[in-house]
Amino acid sequence: MTPSFLLVLVPLLPLLAALATVIGGRRLGPRAHLPAVVGIAAAAVVALSLLVVTARSRGSAETPRPVDMVTTLWQWATVDDAYAPAHDSHAAVPGTAVGEDAYSARPFSISIAMRLDPLTATMLVIITSVGLLVAIYSIGYMHDDPGYPRFFALVAMFVFSMSMLVAASNFLLVYVFWEAVGACSYLLIGFWFQKPEAAKAAKKAFLVNRIGDFGLAVGVFLLWLTYGTLDFHDTLSPDGTILPGILGQTRLADVSGYVGGIVGTAICLLLLLAACGKSAQLPLHVWLPDAMEGPTPASALIHAATMVTAGVYLVARSAPLFMACPGALVTVSIIGTTTALVAALIGTVQNDLKRVLAYSTISQLGYMFACLGTGTLLGFTAAIFHLLTHAFFKALLFLGAGSVMHSMGGVIDMRRFGGLRKLMPITATTFLIGSLALAGIAPFAGFFSKDEILASLHSKGWPDVHHSAENGHHAMIPELPSALSHSGTMHDVGYRGVSNYDNHSSSHQTSDVVGLDALNQPAVWKALFWMALVTAGLTAFYTFRAVFMTFTGPLRIPDEAGDHAHESPSVMTTPLLILAIPATFIGFILFTTDGLAHFLAATPSFTTPSIVKTATASVFHWDLAIQGTLAAALGIVIAAVGHLGRRSDGPQLERWLGPVRPFLEHRMFIDQLYAAVIVKPIEAIAFLAAIFDRSFIDRSVRFVAHLPLALGSVVRQLQSGLLQRYALAGVIGVLAIIVFLAWRL
Amino acid sequence: MTPELNVGILLNELFVDTVRVSLPLFRPELCLVATIVLLLLCRMLPLLRYLDSGGIALGGVCFAAWYAYIDFLSIGSQVGDSLLPATAVRTELFGGLLVFDSFTAFLRLVLAGFLVLYVVLTKLSGIPDREDGADFYSLVLGSSLGMCLMVSANNLLIVFMAVEMASVPSYALAGMLKGRPASSEAALKYAIYGAGAAGVMLYGISLISGVLGTLVLPDVSFEMSRVLAAGGTSGSTMVLCLGGLMLSVGLAFKLSAVPFHFWCPDVFEGAAAEVGAFLSVASKAAAIALLVRVAFAFSTPASDDAVGMSANAVAITDARHFVVYVIGLFAAVTCTFGNLAAYGQTNMKRLLAYSTIAHAGYLMMAVAAAVAMVAISPQGARDAVSAVAFYLATYLFMNLGAFGIVALLRNRLKSEEISSYAGLIHVSPGIVIAMAVVLVSLIGLPPLAGFVAKFLVFSSLVDAITSGAESPLMLSLLVIGGFNTVISLFYYLRVLKVMTFDPVPEDRVSEPFPFVSISGAMITGLVLPVVIFGVFWSGLYAAAHLAGVIAS
Repeated sequence: MTPSFLLVLVPLLPLLAALATVIGGRRLGPRAHLPAVVGIAAAAVVALSLLVVTARSRGSAETPRPVDMVTTLWQWATVDDAYAPAHDSHAAVPGTAVGEDAYSARPFSISIAMRLDPLTATMLVIITSVGLLVAIYSIGYMHDDPGYPRFFALVAMFVFSMSMLVAASNFLLVYVFWEAVGACSYLLIGFWFQKPEAAKAAKKAFLVNRIGDFGLAVGVFLLWLTYGTLDFHDTLSPDGTILPGILGQTRLADVSGYVGGIVGTAICLLLLLAACGKSAQLPLHVWLPDAMEGPTPASALIHAATMVTAGVYLVARSAPLFMACPGALVTVSIIGTTTALVAALIGTVQNDLKRVLAYSTISQLGYMFACLGTGTLLGFTAAIFHLLTHAFFKALLFLGAGSVMHSMGGVIDMRRFGGLRKLMPITATTFLIGSLALAGIAPFAGFFSKDEILASLHSKGWPDVHHSAENGHHAMIPELPSALSHSGTMHDVGYRGVSNYDNHSSSHQTSDVVGLDALNQPAVWKALFWMALVTAGLTAFYTFRAVFMTFTGPLRIPDEAGDHAHESPSVMTTPLLILAIPATFIGFILFTTDGLAHFLAATPSFTTPSIVKTATASVFHWDLAIQGTLAAALGIVIAAVGHLGRRSDGPQLERWLGPVRPFLEHRMFIDQLYAAVIVKPIEAIAFLAAIFDRSFIDRSVRFVAHLPLALGSVVRQLQSGLLQRYALAGVIGVLAIIVFLAWRL
Repeated sequence: MTPELNVGILLNELFVDTVRVSLPLFRPELCLVATIVLLLLCRMLPLLRYLDSGGIALGGVCFAAWYAYIDFLSIGSQVGDSLLPATAVRTELFGGLLVFDSFTAFLRLVLAGFLVLYVVLTKLSGIPDREDGADFYSLVLGSSLGMCLMVSANNLLIVFMAVEMASVPSYALAGMLKGRPASSEAALKYAIYGAGAAGVMLYGISLISGVLGTLVLPDVSFEMSRVLAAGGTSGSTMVLCLGGLMLSVGLAFKLSAVPFHFWCPDVFEGAAAEVGAFLSVASKAAAIALLVRVAFAFSTPASDDAVGMSANAVAITDARHFVVYVIGLFAAVTCTFGNLAAYGQTNMKRLLAYSTIAHAGYLMMAVAAAVAMVAISPQGARDAVSAVAFYLATYLFMNLGAFGIVALLRNRLKSEEISSYAGLIHVSPGIVIAMAVVLVSLIGLPPLAGFVAKFLVFSSLVDAITSGAESPLMLSLLVIGGFNTVISLFYYLRVLKVMTFDPVPEDRVSEPFPFVSISGAMITGLVLPVVIFGVFWSGLYAAAHLAGVIAS
């Protein structure tokens, strides 16, 4: 059982489960969940063992040593000499002298390669463990649904695609599985396709994601043009030279291995666009709230815990690319923080329990982007830390909401039920645990990860405060533009020629052309920090508003529930109880042992010199912890004032909001804005295009379609069945060739 | 020393050449010969009559395939292992009549592999019946023997003999369905047309050999450049052109290239689907291989010659120009005609016949590109020949799969009309999926093997364009090829449309065969490689690339 074999097993088992369900699903009937549950459970065990393997191979060295194992399954396509780099290209081999070798043509080959490194191992554990609990939960939630086998086939398919996405060692494969998880998401949102809203929501998710996917596609093209490879890892060419991969150790160790300037920023922004689509960040967040039309377990797995974090994963994975472009980095933070704040604001007035959670997901993902954009090791690890804790407590909350919905007969409007505390004690308790984690109350999981996020933002806004403690490395990025402007003098020597400037993390292109860099200054970061802090308060508010409205006050049950209102069966509550454990403890454990940050630091992408020098021992920031807790406590208090107890049945608090309330309730009119600015004009163009299509294109197509048919019938006439004519045709044919050759030669 | 007419030494040399050199490399053919003899003996001897002829044939072709495989491995290691730039390793057999090189080995392996699958398929589909078994298999194996000679021909006489050896049994095969007028008529037409083409070809060969004074293919280009460069009478040039055209008529007949394709739809429709499979795969592969051999013989620069180099080189360039244009013309017309005529066909076998014609066109495009690049870019020529070899190997599975499905469906539905396939998806989704894979692969869409094959062919055309070898012609071939691929979509997909969307006809007599059966397994075995070679094509391409070494 080599690690590479185990690594292949993780996606393979769910894939086999999906195929088995597709083939034998109907025959299995009510036991159609078996392949998926068994397959994902086995994958989860394997993923855990991989985590151990990775942690062991990392060793106990203090300085992070990059750990990655790449398994190349096969080469799909090989085109020799497809890439002929220009002489100023960055695809030249780092570590070789300037010369023809460095610029020799490169084959285009798509290696179907999987990698194992700390980041991948962490993601695999999250995906398979949450996937397993969700699959078990669905046994109860989806029972009696006519699409029972289809649901489990899709869930298994999703787990396969998602594990491939995080294990792929190639940007093209990432793209493939990026689309694959999108397809699974589409199919699960529209799972009840008979419902018009579900079909519409699925379509919306699909279309909005297309914009992001387009960004990824163009980004991948640009990566290929710039670096001449799409592999993450280094590869050995047949003649023994090392072809550096984009995130391979050769390039990572090289201070000038990454392109900055316009090209680099364009690549990063395109990747960011893709991440915004998948992770529902502004301005592409509109699909996620509607995606709640899908079955709740699918929402928990795909639209809360795993798939929507693919954007975070992509940015974290591409960290070295972003490090070369400070402007792109700060954009990541700005988008993230703004999204976090906007989504939290909208979340405060939603009455649909699942929608509250959906906006909360958007907001929390915004947090992760916010700290990714700081470009420090603390920021990157904090993002993954929050991703991890969020996966557990948000899955817990969603499954709890599903449990409520299940027993309320499909009603999810919080105004129509209340006081469920007594009716569903397990759901209520676990939901409360999840809420405490989400609100960031110590010692629950979310507290610690949120604290690290705030710390990473704080360190950018107040570099001086952290200067003494952390050897001033956080001040590096603001200095960067000046370092870059010097590099203009060096590229006559060849971009590789000199080796004694290690501050130069970017290209020879002067990067002051990228105006985004101007945003990278402490004032902006200060603003972002305060926005994040306000968001923390809002998060606590809307979370506890939902808790109070749903579980406190007198018992109210909608008519749809009938006699059905009861605590959910144990097959559903057990996953809740299991998820409550990590939602409570995992933050504390990982924070105090500092295990995750050390572990992740060995991810190759985080070992590029520009990140490594920002490494800092994780300090518990008492000031930030107190600020964060105060904000959360304030939010909970306001929620209690508005909604605790008897007041839980109505919009007590929202009355005070005045004109802001409809603004928020209509989700800041973003959907309407899209409709007016984009959809309507496109519809108008589409109308004109349709006329053109019918009157001109269709006719010409019909003509073209008839042409071969007409020619074909002429040609078939020749096939008369008479041998004499055949012979004659042969003679005429030869004569025609002679005539043609005589004329042509 | 004057050569003494020492019979002893001569006999000894003959013996050594035959037994030590030739026969060991001739083992696959010997297996076929032995099987034919055994089959015929069984028919004669009373006790052995009850032996299953299909089983005997299967055993024989398995041995042949095994030896072909061993031969391919050994020559593959000879070509591949050398650190020097790969050059063709060639062994002349039987005093130069045949040649054994990696191209021979690859195609013989393709043919033998085809025969194994083919015999299994015919056993399952029930044609031939018990009565005809021995005849059928000895005809098939005899024809295959001829095809093996075609792919290894090294002498114009062998070219003629091999073509005849491959053709004559197929005339009989075409008329195998006794009591069916269409079958007999098709067989008769085929025979007459074939006889005419053979006559023309033989005449062409004698004209060429008369002018050049040689029949040995590797010597042809040298002699030809000498004759052409000497200028002399323009008569010899004209006779050569005429001879070349006549030779190409014979080859075009085997390739069913337009306008010598007329036999093909009639024969395919009249004969059993199994016979169609044999003619469209094996016969086509052998004919294309022969075309490659002959075309290279007439256009490769004779590099050994140091004297009068420049004049000879110019002369051979002219000859190559002629060869490329003839092949290119045939390719363009054949491809377009085949695809156009396939429109509106109502009979599946007839549709596949035109499809076969069209695919011969694509293959000839690659051959034209290979010949065009042979002097300018040997690497490009090698790639082009590799494309041909790869195409033939994948075409085996695609077309045998298609004909196999047609044959197995015929047994149940009693019809080969496309309309009788209506609504099959409801009763037998497995067959429809298999058919879809095969047809989509014939169109050439990824991720199926047909896509890779077509991609390689078109990329060899692009190579020719960029390396400046007959660029205008290659460009027009590329455009024509692309255009044809588009229009071929229609008629292939129409079959699928009938199978999936059309309602089930009410008068369907019986259900199609269940997919979970030996027949279904056979179809799966034929269709799976189409998918596999579309995804993992490196291995097969590496093998094809070994075969392509003859061009460099």
